[in-house]
Amino acid sequence: MPPRRIHKDGEYMDVDSDSDVSLNLDDDEYTRPGRAPKASGSKSKGKQAKKRTDKVKNKAKDAAYSWEESYTRSWDAVQEDEAGSLQSAVQQLIARGRRRRLLAPTAAIRRAIIRHVIIVLDLSASMTDRDLRPTRFDLMLEYTREFIVEWFDQNPLGQIGIVGMRAGLAERIVDMSGSPQDVLKAISERHKLEPAGDPSLQNALELSRASMTHLPAHSSREVLMIFGSITTVDPGNIHDTLTACLDDKIRISIVALAADMKICRDMCEKSGGTFGVALNEGHFKDLMFELVPPPAQRAAAKAAAAGAGAGADLLLMAFPIRLPESSPPTMCVCHSELKSEGFLCPRCYARVCDVPTDCDVCGIMIVSSPHLARSYHHLFPVKPYQPVMESSGALAKTCHGCSLGFQDKEAATASAKAQTAEGVSPLGRYRCPECHNDFCNECDIFVHDVLHVCPGDR
Amino acid sequence: MDRPSHLALILDLSPTQWHLCAHAPAHPLSLRDFLAQTLAFVNSHLAAKHENSLVVLGALPGKSAVFYPSEDVKPRSRPIADANTYQPFRTVDSAVMSRIMDEFDALGLPAEEEPTALVGAITKALCLINRLAHPASSDLTPPETRVLIVSVSPDLSTSYIPLMNSIFSAQKLKTAIDVCKIFGPDAVFLQQAAHLTGGSYVYLEQREALLQYLVMSFLPAPSLRSVLSVPTQEKIDFRAACFCHKNIIDVGYVCSVCLSIFCTPVPVCSTCRTKFPISTIRRLKASVPSSLVNGSAPATPRSSSPAPIPSPLRNGTDNAPIRPTPLRQSSHT
Repeated sequence: MPPRRIHKDGEYMDVDSDSDVSLNLDDDEYTRPGRAPKASGSKSKGKQAKKRTDKVKNKAKDAAYSWEESYTRSWDAVQEDEAGSLQSAVQQLIARGRRRRLLAPTAAIRRAIIRHVIIVLDLSASMTDRDLRPTRFDLMLEYTREFIVEWFDQNPLGQIGIVGMRAGLAERIVDMSGSPQDVLKAISERHKLEPAGDPSLQNALELSRASMTHLPAHSSREVLMIFGSITTVDPGNIHDTLTACLDDKIRISIVALAADMKICRDMCEKSGGTFGVALNEGHFKDLMFELVPPPAQRAAAKAAAAGAGAGADLLLMAFPIRLPESSPPTMCVCHSELKSEGFLCPRCYARVCDVPTDCDVCGIMIVSSPHLARSYHHLFPVKPYQPVMESSGALAKTCHGCSLGFQDKEAATASAKAQTAEGVSPLGRYRCPECHNDFCNECDIFVHDVLHVCPGDR
Repeated sequence: MDRPSHLALILDLSPTQWHLCAHAPAHPLSLRDFLAQTLAFVNSHLAAKHENSLVVLGALPGKSAVFYPSEDVKPRSRPIADANTYQPFRTVDSAVMSRIMDEFDALGLPAEEEPTALVGAITKALCLINRLAHPASSDLTPPETRVLIVSVSPDLSTSYIPLMNSIFSAQKLKTAIDVCKIFGPDAVFLQQAAHLTGGSYVYLEQREALLQYLVMSFLPAPSLRSVLSVPTQEKIDFRAACFCHKNIIDVGYVCSVCLSIFCTPVPVCSTCRTKFPISTIRRLKASVPSSLVNGSAPATPRSSSPAPIPSPLRNGTDNAPIRPTPLRQSSHT
């Protein structure tokens, strides 16, 4: 390995502006022994972050080093109360989550649910940088895998394709596919994706655009780009490509690992996507996973202009019957193999191996209804519960959800009264506006984040 | 069987259905016999391991209730110690029985029976399982959890979406949903629930042998099921309920924006207010589905099907007479 190491270091000096930071890193850790080693990632990041004008998380602009500011804030947020417990800090976090949820619109909003995403992975030499542990490249692959699993869980009818940017070229790593196994398999072999050379934004966008032009108008077209470099080598004018993408209604979102680049930000803003620079490992993941839920079609005005619901369509779909393994084996229409399990098309009774698919015989789209149902909670969200502020009248002894008793009233009021944040009930009770039942904190979170059904009887 | 097991038992207590079940021509089962056998099953679950826990919920018409453990046990129903009974069994049995009696007394005599609140009971069970899965103190090992639904009512299509949401939450909580269908037609949504969560769906043919079914198929914890041969489902119906009339359908029209399901072509999506192009609706009403699915090209169906488009197919897409021919062709290849 030693020769390779040297080679890599050489590359650091050439292409990467991070090199001085990685040298400083050790000093930093010596002078501030209190810091956790994990800080190193965000610190080296910060050198470039200095250039940013406005950032997602960092609002204090007058701080000497922006990364220090964001770093100290994370433990400033967690403060012990007089008794030395972290209860209040935890409550603060919950309160923030609650407030965000209350602010979110409760009305049914239009969301693109049949989604098509091209993930553009930066495979340039800058991805070998170690400012994100273990390396940017390894971390990117790991998070991409998690992203794909989570994405298919929430968007079962969607498709993902992967494009790589390496040595000035854009490579198609996997075609648009609806099966998570196919996509995951394509990026499972690390040695095939070894980073090299410079990335090219334009080539990657052109390739992504070309692979999405054939899609029907009602599906969303998105590009998620993970960009680790601060340079791009383009064969032509990237603004022309951007205009072409806008014409094709492609939404570009970029997670940058190095720095805020004007062209990246412009691309995201113009196409309606999101742009973020990862501060550290956790933030990188957050930025990626923000793109998992389907984007709201906030083009209400835009769609009205373009002839309301342009691209909307009514599709004919069939819900199949699944055959058990014990059924007599028959030929499937997709592979012509003799198998006993499979799905029956309800219209022509042809047997297909897997759903969702198009029936090879009658052409109808076969989906299993759970596939569709997975996205319904986006359409019918549970109304946010209102915190119960004072104990007036008769209160139920137990939570309506888990039927466990509420915590002791006296103790709860004593401890919580001091730091009652907005949106947090001092009694730990939250009332459903529909069924007027009281729920405990845990059930409130569970109902809104996971269950999406109010347990109250209506 | 290291981990303790938590069972949430949901009893479907629809008076009408139980009356019909008790007077069924073949294999009748009255509610009283049912409760006696179920309580024996409950006791055997508690006896299997000391740490095993239990919740009994009831889905009553328009209301769901927790029968055990219940906070407000009235003094009159407090069990008297009996030298011949194991006390924990007695506590459960009398709590469940007295609560059921109270709830039935409170029902009164409505002119029309409301559908049972099965979803309310499932969601309550899941809320409690969620609390158990994330215990406050970390030294407690979270138990293996499962839900057993004893169902007599037919599918309630109005609760399709809440039920599906509960199923997905159960998947996330790694909780199996078992279904024991005692009476009535097969419940499509409960079949899906059992299939998706890795539980088993059992349709009772000999109702008087309920206890044997319960003990043989539902007593072992889900982790042991792989070793035993628990009855599996014949076939699973992946049908859905449409949003407009709550019919259960196998071929439906789906809004491409929000995936709402309709049983007839509609001009405006009732969920997301999307207007659909008139040409699409005209095409769908003319029942030439293959042209729609392929995106465009009205020439394709015309050439593939010699039958004229308008009249003969208008009465429904399901029994389109052209279908069998291509099927036979493909099976030859």
